[in-house]
Amino acid sequence: MKKLTLLLIISLTFFQYGNAQRYLTKNGQISFFSDGPLEKIEAQNNQVNSVLDVKSGDFVYKVLMKSFLFEKALMQEHFNENYVESDQFPNATFVGKITNPEAIDFTKPGTYDAIVEGKLTIHGVTKPVKEQGTFQVSTEAIVGKSVFKIKLADYHISIPGAVTGKIAEEIEIRVDVRLDPLKF
Amino acid sequence: MKKWKIFLITTLSIGIIAGIYVWFFMVNKPHRDIEQALPDYTETAENLYAHYANGLNTETKNYDGAIIRFSGKVTKIESVDSLKVLVFVFNEGVFGDEGIRCTLLPWHNKNIPDLIPDQPITIKGFCSGYNGTDIILQQCSIIN
Repeated sequence: MKKLTLLLIISLTFFQYGNAQRYLTKNGQISFFSDGPLEKIEAQNNQVNSVLDVKSGDFVYKVLMKSFLFEKALMQEHFNENYVESDQFPNATFVGKITNPEAIDFTKPGTYDAIVEGKLTIHGVTKPVKEQGTFQVSTEAIVGKSVFKIKLADYHISIPGAVTGKIAEEIEIRVDVRLDPLKF
Repeated sequence: MKKWKIFLITTLSIGIIAGIYVWFFMVNKPHRDIEQALPDYTETAENLYAHYANGLNTETKNYDGAIIRFSGKVTKIESVDSLKVLVFVFNEGVFGDEGIRCTLLPWHNKNIPDLIPDQPITIKGFCSGYNGTDIILQQCSIIN
């Protein structure tokens, strides 16, 4: 009986510790922006899933492409049907790791510069990326922010011939996620 | 008036009308009014969740991009800046609650104070799809 109780305490302690190291959100924000000669394109997604494991430095986010909202309906249609083909490729994901963990103290409030390396999958194409950003650590949550650029051609997103040169070939992606400790 | 003048004025008029039509009704056409649109599917929250979680979202019945009206018991309400998200929880996964997440149209936020957990409500919104843990609905309105 004593052994069973001890095992239960150890298991619960391990479980609690395991959870405390993981932070997540399901309401993260990702927006993208491009400023081409013909069109300025901007869209926002407020339902991004993201998880950070502060012990291992693993950082993941996942986005439903159809959740991006554009100012113009026609742009949104073109984005989903012609560019990212969201019926065929409904998600974009990033799976990476913090490569400068020594520079970040997740137990101490403050803003820390971070470098995250990993693989970004968009339009069914996976490419290695290296992003710079910040983690703002507070007693309640960790806010991760990053701004980086990607080339559409790298992800086999083709620009129709009629508008080639008029739409930017590179877009700026802004990630802003408030991660709360995982609780059960 | 000479024939060529009539032809020129007619052509210009047609061109201007066509331009106005393209500009207002194609280039700047308004977003679909999800709140007023008829739903493509009507479901219970349980069936909607089971549809995706059991891998039944196939070409024959695909809810991605559809307007869905569903009824169920709201578990909790989350805030993201000024947005409100109604959450219907059906499962507990490695990363916490799993279920249906509905972002309300801002003018429906006023109905939030009247909601209590486990209250049955009917929602209509645009289904963005399933991300492996949750079904995401946007531009949602509270029907009753």
